[in-house]
Amino acid sequence: MSSAATLLARSARRRRRVPIGRVVAVIILFLGGVGMIAPFLWMIVTALKSPAHLFDVPPNWIPLEFEWDNFSKAVNGPLPLLRNMFNSAFIAIVGTLGILITAPMAGYAFARLQFRGQNAIFIGLLASMMVPVQVTIIPLFLIMRNLGVINTPWSLILPALTWAFGVFLMRQFFLTVPKEILEAARIDGAGPWTTYRLVALPLVKNGLSALGVIAFLNNPYLWNAYFAPSIFLNSQDTATLPLALVLMQGPFSTGQMNVVMAATTLAVVPALIVFLIAQRWIIASLTQSAVKG
Amino acid sequence: MADLITRDTTSSHTFRAGRTRPARKGLGRRDAIAGYLFVSPSVLGFLIFVLGPLVAALGFSFTRYDVISPPTFVGLDNYVRLFSDQRLGLVYLNTIIYVVAAVVLINGLGLLFAVLINVRMPRVLTYVFRSVYFFPSLVALAYISLIWQALFQRDTGIINYYLEVIGADPVNWLNSSSQSRFSVIIVDVWRNVGFAMLIYVAALQEVPRELEEAAQIDGAGAFTQFRRITVPMISQAIFFNVTITVIGAFQIYESIIVLTKGGPGDSTRSIVMYIAEKAFADFDLGYASAISMTLFAIILLVTILQFRIRRAWVHYE
Repeated sequence: MSSAATLLARSARRRRRVPIGRVVAVIILFLGGVGMIAPFLWMIVTALKSPAHLFDVPPNWIPLEFEWDNFSKAVNGPLPLLRNMFNSAFIAIVGTLGILITAPMAGYAFARLQFRGQNAIFIGLLASMMVPVQVTIIPLFLIMRNLGVINTPWSLILPALTWAFGVFLMRQFFLTVPKEILEAARIDGAGPWTTYRLVALPLVKNGLSALGVIAFLNNPYLWNAYFAPSIFLNSQDTATLPLALVLMQGPFSTGQMNVVMAATTLAVVPALIVFLIAQRWIIASLTQSAVKG
Repeated sequence: MADLITRDTTSSHTFRAGRTRPARKGLGRRDAIAGYLFVSPSVLGFLIFVLGPLVAALGFSFTRYDVISPPTFVGLDNYVRLFSDQRLGLVYLNTIIYVVAAVVLINGLGLLFAVLINVRMPRVLTYVFRSVYFFPSLVALAYISLIWQALFQRDTGIINYYLEVIGADPVNWLNSSSQSRFSVIIVDVWRNVGFAMLIYVAALQEVPRELEEAAQIDGAGAFTQFRRITVPMISQAIFFNVTITVIGAFQIYESIIVLTKGGPGDSTRSIVMYIAEKAFADFDLGYASAISMTLFAIILLVTILQFRIRRAWVHYE
């Protein structure tokens, strides 16, 4: 389109009547957005309050006092919070690394290698996504007990090392790698492993980063997990961060609210910072994989 | 989740079949061996941590087992017991309420927000709204539940404070057999609506503008246009979102632990909480296994049903 035509079109657009629909859309989204932010804001404000002002009426949304002591109380409280943070990070990082090794290999084999029984095995893995950990938790608990890993990080890392969802995700990404490139590598004398490692894998970097994010956050044994850790871990020292915070809340919600919120802030803020830095990329990874996977 | 068993679209099959295959039989064999090696870790993990436990759980469901003494075979006793277990009925009712509410609200609101975000507005706004709505889905449900548990307090919580400001009656969010399910649902929807929205936004952007414009020229109103053009075009995304909300809502657990501990009574308890209680508090592992088999059967049924509906209904490019 010539620039004159663009200009014409633009001015025509501008002359249209006031876009009430758009204004209404923005207003609704703004109100909804306030609803999404308010709980987090309230968490931070409460984390900075002294007990005397916890239940001020009307509630204030701007921190008037900065009781940093709440954070040191949270960290030095009855629970070894730094230890719990470390546990969570260790489990999630090792588990994610495992998935980043096993899932692309299998995904590549299903997408680009040929072997007998391939489809049957693939469908078996596919079906395993219908079996949530909640269904198999009793035998899993017994397996972990027999392996002697109950109440250690390995009870969560071992089952997290392989992940059917990751295999499907990577298969979808490898299907976009042209076969001809791989054929060329083979003709040049590269074996299957070299072809995979040096030719195919570098071509699915986007897929790997998407897999990393999704595995870290959504694998039922890793960072955000609660159910499996709550069954496999049973002491304050081995607890992951989510377990520790719920313990802190206390069986009758007796935990001091400002201290619990300080601990929750410590748990949420790192996620917030990572998200603010990498949001464009995280959102792209997740949607791409949902649309692809 | 696009077609999971997609066929390869990128390569020229004739090339392989016609020229290379006969000359390189040895390579094909090496490929096959490599194939088995490449999938073996995942297959091993699947056998040890999914299929094995699933078969074992089925086995345990025919036994009485308390961990201390070895399991004894009791036939269908555990399954017969399911039918007279009144707690189980209530717990399933709660779970189904959570599932239906999650599917309807997460997808309804998610689609609404996605359509609104898709309206032409300054890029910054689109960007900010998308991020703000999406962020809670990245945060552990346990943390989110802790925040809401404080907001929901009957006497000191700010939600009831604002309800009173606008003249409404305070709600007993955490301790009422009729009202507390709402708080579980609110937390679930609040956390997950942004993810569903994100998927819908991505799908809406794929809908060709010309189609909508053509419908407009043909005189279709906004609603008809949405129902006849937009919904069929994004049916793939709807299927994906409905599937993950259903499976996710069947697993609701920690939010209830934090908010209501399943109470008062069993009025907010979910099926997963009940399984955990029977297995790890009562050490009634045989019966707990039978209950988990019912959960598995339901998830299986829902999945098969959705695949059927999808085949009949989803629009493919």
